[in-house]
Parts: sequence; C-alpha cells; structure tokens
Amino acid sequence: MESPIITTVSLFKYYGKAEKPSLDNINLTIFKGEKFGIFGPNGAGKTTLISLLCNILKASSGTIEYSFDDQKKNIKEKLNQVGFVPQDFAFYSELTAKQNLYYFGGVYGMSSISLKEQTVNLLEILGLTSVADNKVKSFSGGMKRRLNLAIGLIHSPEIVFLDEPTVGVDIHSKLTIINYLEELNKKGTTIIYTSHHLKEAEDFCSRVALMDNGKVIALDSVSELIKINNAANLEELMINLTGKELRD
Amino acid sequence: MNKLFVSLVKEILLLLSDKVGLLLMFVMPLLLVFIITVVQDSAFKLVNENKIEMLIVNKDDGNLGDTLIDNLIKSGSFNIEISNTLMKSEIKKQTLYRDKLIAILIPENFSKKIGQNAAKISNLMLTEFGVIDSSQSLQSSKLMNNNNLDFYFDPILQENFRISILSGINTVLIGIESRIMLQQLFADLGYDNIPKHIQKELGKQNITINSVPASNGTSELVPNSSQHNVPAWSLFAMFFMVISLGGNVVKERLSGSFVRLQTIPSAFLLTIWSKVIVYLFVSLSQLTVMFCIGMFVFPHLGLPDLKMPSNILALFVISILSAYAAISYSLLIGVYAKTQEQAGGFGAISIIIFAAIGGIWVPSFIMPEYMQNIGMISPLHWCIEGYYTLFLKNGEWKELSGTLIYLLMFIFGCQFFTFIKLRKQNYI
Repeated sequence: MESPIITTVSLFKYYGKAEKPSLDNINLTIFKGEKFGIFGPNGAGKTTLISLLCNILKASSGTIEYSFDDQKKNIKEKLNQVGFVPQDFAFYSELTAKQNLYYFGGVYGMSSISLKEQTVNLLEILGLTSVADNKVKSFSGGMKRRLNLAIGLIHSPEIVFLDEPTVGVDIHSKLTIINYLEELNKKGTTIIYTSHHLKEAEDFCSRVALMDNGKVIALDSVSELIKINNAANLEELMINLTGKELRD
Repeated sequence: MNKLFVSLVKEILLLLSDKVGLLLMFVMPLLLVFIITVVQDSAFKLVNENKIEMLIVNKDDGNLGDTLIDNLIKSGSFNIEISNTLMKSEIKKQTLYRDKLIAILIPENFSKKIGQNAAKISNLMLTEFGVIDSSQSLQSSKLMNNNNLDFYFDPILQENFRISILSGINTVLIGIESRIMLQQLFADLGYDNIPKHIQKELGKQNITINSVPASNGTSELVPNSSQHNVPAWSLFAMFFMVISLGGNVVKERLSGSFVRLQTIPSAFLLTIWSKVIVYLFVSLSQLTVMFCIGMFVFPHLGLPDLKMPSNILALFVISILSAYAAISYSLLIGVYAKTQEQAGGFGAISIIIFAAIGGIWVPSFIMPEYMQNIGMISPLHWCIEGYYTLFLKNGEWKELSGTLIYLLMFIFGCQFFTFIKLRKQNYI
C-alpha cells in the first residue's frame, strides 16, 4: 500500500492584507515514490504551494505533515531530507560548479567523503565534469540549469521539489535532466514538479494536481483526468478546466 | 563537513573573487590616509615652516615702513619682494596672476601717523602721571586712525591661513608701535633715546609659551596630522564596506541563493555569521595595514609617524566594536535595500553624512552646537572619539565607557532591525 510522504490539511496562505487567499484550503496527500505534478495558469498558486512545502513561506493556517521512513525527530531533520530546485538560478556565479556543490552540500551537513563522491557523480551524470572548475558565470543557460538541479540533489534527498526545472534549455539538456529525474525516482525519490511544458509533464508525472485561483480543481493520474474530462491531452484538459482567459 | 567552515570558505572565495571590492577596501583607505595627511601636513608647513611669498609696496616717506619690512624679513615667515612703484590696481593683479599669495601696501605718511599717535598717547600718559600739567596736554588732537595698511590676498588663500598670516604681521606692527611709543615717552621726558640697558631688556623675549597636550599619565603622545588622520580615515574606509557587504547581501537575496538557504535548516544564520566573521577579519586587517603604514612608512615619506597608544587592549576592543558596528550597519542596509544600486547609493551617502557630522572631516568642536548634538547619532563620531581618546589623550577604560556603550547600543539596534526584517521574510 502506498504510504503518504507529505500531507497538507486545510492549507491557507494570504499575502499581506489581501482579502483573497493565494492558497485556498489545500488538502493534498503526496505518496512516497510519486512523480507528482502541480500545474495551472500563471497566478494559480503553484509556486506559493511549493514555497510552503519547502518552508520558504509560512502558511497563514493549516498544517503540513512530512512522513519519512526513518521517522526524523524534528522539522529540521525532516527538512534536511527535502531538496529544492527553484525556477531561478540559485547559486553563486562567482564560484565554480564544484565550489557551489561543496558549499551547499557542506551546509546540508554532508561528510567530506560522501560530498566529494556525490559531487563527482552528479557532475558526471549531468555532463558538467569538464567545466567543474570553471566559474559558473561563464556557463551556458543549459549548464546553469543542470547545475541548479545538481545543487538541489547533492544531499540525496527523499523528496525533491522542482519548479520549472527545464525552462529555457535546449532539448539535450532537457533530456539529460528528465532522464536523471526518472532514474532518481526509480531509486525511490519522491519528485514534486511544476512546469509549463504540459507535454513533458504528461509524459513524466504519475499524478497531477491542477490548480486555479489558489485551489486544487482536479487531482488524479494524468490518464484518468484526461479520460474523465474527455480531453485529448493535458493541454486541452487545462484549457477546459481553467478557461481561455489570459492570466497574469 | 563543518557547516561554519564551508560557509566561511564560501565567503572568502566570494570576497576574493570581488577584486574591485577588495581594492576599494584596502587601496582606498591607503590613498585617503596618505593624501589627507600630506595635504594637512603641507598646510601646516605652509603657515608654520615654509616662507610665504609676499609683495610689499612701500609708499611711506618716513623710516617706519622700512622698519616694518626689516622686521617682517627677520620674522623668517615671508619671502619678501619690494616694488615701491606699483599702483593699487597693479598690486591686485600681482596677487591674482603671479605667485604672490599676499601683498601689503604701506601708505604715505605711515611713519608720520604712527609718530603722531605715539605723541598723543605719550602726552596722555604723562598728563595722567602728573609729569606735565593739563594745559600742556594735546587734548584737542585726536588719535589718527586712518593709517591702515592695506592687505591684499589671493582669494585661494583659506580664511584660517589668512588669519594666521595677519596675526603674524600684526605682531610685528605692535612691536614697532610699542617701540615708537616708548621712544616718544622717553623723548617727552627729555631723553635723546631709550637708554641702552632698557633697549637690551626690551629686545629679550622673557616669556615663552610651551605647548603641552593634555593627556593622561606620563604620555609623550604629541598630536600631529598622522595621529588625527590615520584612525579617522581608516574608520571612514572601514564603514565603506557597506558597498561591498551590503551589496553582497542584496545580491544573494535577489539571486535566489538565500531562497535555497531557507530550505536548509540553520544555513541562513550560518551564512550571516560567516559574513560577520570574514568581514570582521577584513576590517581588522584594514586597520592593521593602515596603522602599520602610519608607523613605518609615513616617516620615510616625510610625514609624522603614528604613535600607538599605550593601552593596546583598549585599542583592540574599540577596533573590534567599530568593525562590528560597520558590519551590522552594512547588514542592515543589505536586508532593507531592494537593489544593489540602492544599497550602494544609500549606503555610501549615509556613510559620507555620518562622517561629516561625526567629525571625521572637520573636528566636531568647531561645529555649531546643534550640529554637534546631531553628530552624536553617527557611529563614526563614537568610533573616532574612542580612537582620539586613545591616540591623542592616551585615555583609559573609564574615558572610553561612553564610546563603548554607544557602539554596543548601535550594534544591538542594527541587529535588532535586521532580525525583524529577516524574520518577516521568513529567512530565520
């Protein structure tokens, strides 16, 4: 039986004094080993939800429960098992790829030996070995995107949150990233993913939540949702459920 | 791997990658201290050691004009060029377009008018003493007050130098007038001249002035331009770390690195602490370099050397607190500024204002009282007060208490508001 790894109950988020919540009563259960997609138009609340799940933002009300295998004692230990790959590049451009990985792995508290091993491994898998000692500011967009992913995975987390991990990269980088995520998932890593590339999401995700106006408006496997809503694909499904109006 | 260690390594690597920032942090204070000290030292020498170029136009038909010139030459303060044929309008041109900073026009009848004044005063004195009766007194005559010397000066000459030069000329004039007065007095009493033994005594300067700087104990610290400038401009440069550190914080915040750190337990506070430690080290290195240059390099450049205070522990404590105040202020700017430009612009201007009102550029005591009161809010004021207490007065802990309390309060205030902002943004 599938065991939940994240459970949210009645999650609300208000920004400042806004009357309308950015997240409106989110009740979700994400299971261990899932490739879970969160989709929706701009302003639907996807990034806010991920920010809450990663502890970047605090919820106005509601609870988030993490359930790891080894029953981590406190929230700090639990969050140490979470990896975050933000949409924006989150590293130090003045440092080299290796220095960035050493730094972020170090602050996760990794031992020196496992940090070095994991750094070599990730650089190899993501095709960055030849530029490992180059300053990141000299990298191409695809290389930066792959490094951004590598940093989020350096400590081998149980859950990885990916916010648009393939945005702005060429097909080769995209394939490398997606293939590696598939490989990680096979090893048991739970992947929570947002993207505007709905075809990519359709192929990649095992289950999706469609969001609009801060609410989850549909939640199921991609194939089931397409079938129930009589749509040809995820793109058509999204248009059917959220309308054709422009969202900013 | 130790989390603090990797954070420190990261901060050091970032600092080393910012070559311009490093250059600013170490070369700028060096240049500032060197230039300001040379300028102030030269200004001091201009008035006190170098001879000032002076043009004299002597229209006097008596001999006191020549006496005045002789005495000015003897004073050793002036390089005098005499050109008696020049007209008033030409004197102005000479001071404006030639290298003569000042010129004096001795008017016609200069000697005659001084003589008349001396005669009048002598007569009044003798009448007062009852040596002559009032019927012989010159009551109807008035003291001549139109025997003014005209003093021309190049407008570039600053007021304090001008006043200093005028004071020197005035001293020579008073000497001449006193002598003429005495001569007249003796003449009125029937002497041909002032008796030689009295002239001899009058020629002596019996009272000399010893300058004694007020300081504690048996200190031999003598205030000089290095004692003032090295600590003052080192502090000024140290607070300029707001551009580097404040900008660095904004950059990390905007680049997304901070967002990633938010997801890593304790990482954010570690990052802040590693910044504090690295920049504390940088600040203390800045001060050490500056002080060493003041002590060992300045004497070879003809500048006064920096003498260290006897209480080295107090110097260390004040330096740490000053550096920590600069770091705390930089972090505060870094967390509140929305862009790097904002942090750099506001940070730099605020430090210039703090320096101006805090007495780094001009001493606080010459400012109006309200400005002195406003200056108390400047952390630079308290830092420099602490250094002056040590470097100029050889002060002890008790005299440093005000400085220590203020700096601690300033640090606490900056950190409190930094904490509030970071807390509000859920970073900590």
